[in-house]
Amino acid sequence: MDSAGASSAQRARTALIFVAPKLLQFVFVIWATYTVTFLLIHFLPGDPVLAALSLKGGDATTTDPAALERLRVQYGLDGTLWEQYFRHLTGVVTGNFGTSISTGQPVSTMISRVMPHSAAIAGLALVIGILLAVVVTYLAFLTRSNWLRQTLMQIPPLGVAIPAFLTGLVFISVFSFGLGWFPSSGTRQPLSVVLPAVTLALPVGAIFFQVFSAAVFEAANGAYVFTAVAKGLSPRRIFTRHVLRNSLLASITILGLQIGYLAGGTAVVETVFSRDGIGRMTVNAVLGRDINVIQGVVIVVAIVYSSVNLLVDISYGLIDPRIRPSLATPKTKGSPTAPDAPENSAPVRTTT
Amino acid sequence: MTQRPLDAPAAGESVDDILQVSGLQVEYHSAGETFPAVRGVSFSIPRGKIVAIVGESGSGKSTISQSLIRRLSTGGSITSGSIVFDGINLTQLSEKKLRRIRGARIGFVPQDPSNSLNPLMKIGEQIAESLRLHEKSSASAAAVRAVEILREVGIPDASARAGQYPHQLSGGMRQRVLIGMAWACNPDLVIADEPTSALDVTVQRQVLDRMERLASERGTAVLLVTHDLAVAADRADEILVMQQGLIVEQGHAKEVLENPTHSYTQRLVAAAPGLNSARLQAQLLPFGSSGPLGSSLFAGRPISVETSFEGIEKIPVPGLAPVLEVRKLVKTFALRTPGAPASVLTAVNNVSFAVQRGQTLSIVGESGSGKTTTARIAARIASADSGTVLFDGEDVTTLQGEKLRQLRRRIQVVYQNPFGSLDPRMTLERIITEPLRAFKLGDRKRQAEAAKELLECVQLSPDLINRRPGQLSGGQRQRVAIARALALGPEMMVLDEPVSALDVSVQEQILQLLVNLQAQFNLSYLFISHDLGVIRQVSDEIVVMRFGDVIEAGPAAQILKSPTQAYTRELLESIPGQLQGQS
Amino acid sequence: MRLLKKPGLLVSAIFLLLVLLAVAVPSLFATHSPLEGVAAEKMLPPSAEHWFGTDHLGRDVYSRVVYGARLSVAAAALAVLIGVSVGAVVGLVAGAVGGKIDFAIMRVVDVFIAVPGILLALIVVASLGFGPWSVAVGVALGAAGSFARVMRSQVLRVRNEEYVEAAGALGVRRGTILLSHVLPNASRPVISMAALELGTAILSVSALSFLGFGPQPPTPEWGSLVASGREFVATAPWLSILPGVVIVAVVLAVNRVAQQLGASK
Repeated sequence: MDSAGASSAQRARTALIFVAPKLLQFVFVIWATYTVTFLLIHFLPGDPVLAALSLKGGDATTTDPAALERLRVQYGLDGTLWEQYFRHLTGVVTGNFGTSISTGQPVSTMISRVMPHSAAIAGLALVIGILLAVVVTYLAFLTRSNWLRQTLMQIPPLGVAIPAFLTGLVFISVFSFGLGWFPSSGTRQPLSVVLPAVTLALPVGAIFFQVFSAAVFEAANGAYVFTAVAKGLSPRRIFTRHVLRNSLLASITILGLQIGYLAGGTAVVETVFSRDGIGRMTVNAVLGRDINVIQGVVIVVAIVYSSVNLLVDISYGLIDPRIRPSLATPKTKGSPTAPDAPENSAPVRTTT
Repeated sequence: MTQRPLDAPAAGESVDDILQVSGLQVEYHSAGETFPAVRGVSFSIPRGKIVAIVGESGSGKSTISQSLIRRLSTGGSITSGSIVFDGINLTQLSEKKLRRIRGARIGFVPQDPSNSLNPLMKIGEQIAESLRLHEKSSASAAAVRAVEILREVGIPDASARAGQYPHQLSGGMRQRVLIGMAWACNPDLVIADEPTSALDVTVQRQVLDRMERLASERGTAVLLVTHDLAVAADRADEILVMQQGLIVEQGHAKEVLENPTHSYTQRLVAAAPGLNSARLQAQLLPFGSSGPLGSSLFAGRPISVETSFEGIEKIPVPGLAPVLEVRKLVKTFALRTPGAPASVLTAVNNVSFAVQRGQTLSIVGESGSGKTTTARIAARIASADSGTVLFDGEDVTTLQGEKLRQLRRRIQVVYQNPFGSLDPRMTLERIITEPLRAFKLGDRKRQAEAAKELLECVQLSPDLINRRPGQLSGGQRQRVAIARALALGPEMMVLDEPVSALDVSVQEQILQLLVNLQAQFNLSYLFISHDLGVIRQVSDEIVVMRFGDVIEAGPAAQILKSPTQAYTRELLESIPGQLQGQS
Repeated sequence: MRLLKKPGLLVSAIFLLLVLLAVAVPSLFATHSPLEGVAAEKMLPPSAEHWFGTDHLGRDVYSRVVYGARLSVAAAALAVLIGVSVGAVVGLVAGAVGGKIDFAIMRVVDVFIAVPGILLALIVVASLGFGPWSVAVGVALGAAGSFARVMRSQVLRVRNEEYVEAAGALGVRRGTILLSHVLPNASRPVISMAALELGTAILSVSALSFLGFGPQPPTPEWGSLVASGREFVATAPWLSILPGVVIVAVVLAVNRVAQQLGASK
């Protein structure tokens, strides 16, 4: 290790210099997300409060200003925008996301109740998706038949083009109603996780595949793989020892975006499979114009997204020797061969 | 094209040949089109000898080196011929058996040291991997041997280096690691594909020395693929000259160089900068009534170069006043690495020189010498931390805005990379007339005529006027860049490595063109190059730079004949093409 | 000619043209009324008379898909148009101005990328009310962030190209360089990305309609058609699956054509 001479205090300082800006960014994104959401909800035309109250009240919609004001106070929607903004912000910091307009329950309780259900299918979907992408790429890398490789490479783009609600419905009609292997809906049975997770895994895997396979085949035509071939290594070994790590490293930056996709995707999938979860809760909140719940969900999603990005960033620094913070003082004379930091502005996007 | 057996199959197939290639043909297929890269090539490599394949880009030389280990780029395939290595026909061998030859009996030194090592694997491990695979060494024995190999290829502090990652090594060291890797399992043959073209000359020499020594110590045969005839002349026993997929000449190194029979070889020998030491003389230009500034283009220019313009008072001093002078330039860059204290790199340290009117001053130096930064400051593209830039006696160091823009009419720049300096979306006409439009010179019709004349000036057909840069060769693009620079009728051109991205024979044509234009238009050049061989073909004065400092400066003849500084001598000695006949 | 060598592209292009024609003049393709059903002919499986079968009100599903094309495609196209314009302008300004303004703009853009597109769309829909046009605005907002980021990185890339510096050294003015070199070279990748985004937008719009935020019944729209067939998926799966297949086909065709646009010059 080149850091042998550094004291542990120095080491800690270096680590701090490396991590501190990323932590700052983490906090910033969550705050900014809260602010932007708040602005969007309050500055777009239409009074969401009135809309929500009227939806909730049904025929008994109150027009009495005093009663309306009481309801506003009850849901924390009274006062000027500034007051509301800061009241909510303090709430967010202390973990209090306010009260749901439609159910009257604390938003944080609602979220923590359904969170595990969504986490289960999202996590499983991520694992299945990445595995699928790696396996398909591995086969395409190994095969010597051009035709087979072309065919394999054509399959994953389909995953992006098929809407999750269609896949879900097809799965239900085949595996639930047709074969009876898996439950078609609900959250109770353990096997109920399978179909939603696979449904989500297809697009998630397809997006990961696009980035990962591009990295693999770029490497395969690149110089260090040529060196490995010239050494006499077998294609399998070249893949596992040389290509895999480099390509995964190039692909993990999109994990954050994948989390975003998963958060959006659960809305559709949980609706199709009638499962409890963050996504379905959000859909119901939007249908009921329940802005407290919507805002709570957005913040939670932003926290998850930022945490994953933070982890990706830090693990990047640990895995890639080129951007590992160096402890040795750089030599001043000579060619300034600064390590080329990988450009992570690749136009990879996800939407539902 | 007809298939001519230009070369008889290696005369008297001796058992002493480690490799015999006969009738090799390689094609590339892409998008339904077939391109023959190697069109029937036969040669052999005797055991323990060094054979060089020399050719320019597109000659098929690298394709041959790749086909010898049957690893062609996408779309490539061997369509006929045989490659017999020590009695085994590699074209027929199963992939599995071939893998036992690759790395074990045939080593390969690739072209690009910066990308040819796995960036995430320690270099010791990358060598040890080979040893474990082919020699069946234990993990610990392989690791120990890997350190020994690093020491053998001349890497200082080898045991510590073995634990480092490729990015922590310089280019030259990385190439040594790759050489160590190629020789790790004591192969019978090593294929070196342009092993030093990405390296500085002094490093190139050390790396080639190391390779040559390993080859003679171990009795390894080497196939050296290079674009540089001089490198081949220095290192090889035999030379094959390739052009468009065919071997046009082959024989003992000395004979080929001294007595080239094929016209292409003759041209290569004549063009090779390392083998050719005279300054180029201006030739009469092939087109019509051109006096010194006699082309209709310059005559019809609304503002001729003689006219002064607002902002810069022109003092028409004839004779000895330099056109461009820089005094005590200093430029530093802050280096930042995450987690480390910032440090300062002095890229240009107290540099002064003067370019005389109508002459060429060249700055020579290796990478990191600060030569390009100096040129950019002199051309007022970059700014200096301190120091003065004088143009025609005027201090232009701090010119800004419109005044700086007006200065551009008198000083123009030609860049190294003809692929990057032309907007890929524009036609040649728009490219060449861009400066005319920027200064609103002439109407559209007049500008279009000027573009055609300028193309003729750089010896390109005016028919190309509607092409885009992507449809031109590298040499043609560089001519376009020169034509564009000429459009405003400048007095001075800054030429930043103008030929280093080009093939040797094209290099020579461009250099000749520059010399001709200089004489015709009385241009002054500030010429930047890493290649002393190129420098001595064009220079009147030479400045040698290293790590930001001027090591030595003076008239070209003096610097080249009797340098006073050790570094200059080292640079001169590193020019390939001087070792032939010595050994 | 060249198209014939790429049958996939040819089929995609022809199919897209037909879809566009259906958007313009749906009556050319529809076989029945999209809104009025025949009660006696409800829940029929696909047949020569009713290609996609009939729904619970006896309406011809194929004709409803044809008429649904208008809203689905138009909403998606509008979303892309808004997303690209807003994103490209923001990215161009950030990249061209640089400095603190760039920093500030990009931090806001980060937020729009951090919040998943569908969630952003849901926020917008919650505020603006339901319907295809607020869905389009929502989807546009979700896409604008990545367009801004790509545009900015392209502007920065092109600004560092040697030909831009060369133009400066030739004496071309900064504003002229921005218009004649930077903008054309930077916008090409953004334009081909916009083409790809159309496919994604069709999926997003139909997903939001599927969730019930699109047009109100009985107006046909692809996502709503799938949603309304959902409750009969056990007995009449074609009701939701066939409209779904149409969505897939359109998205695949769009992607194929967009891919070609990205590949050619």
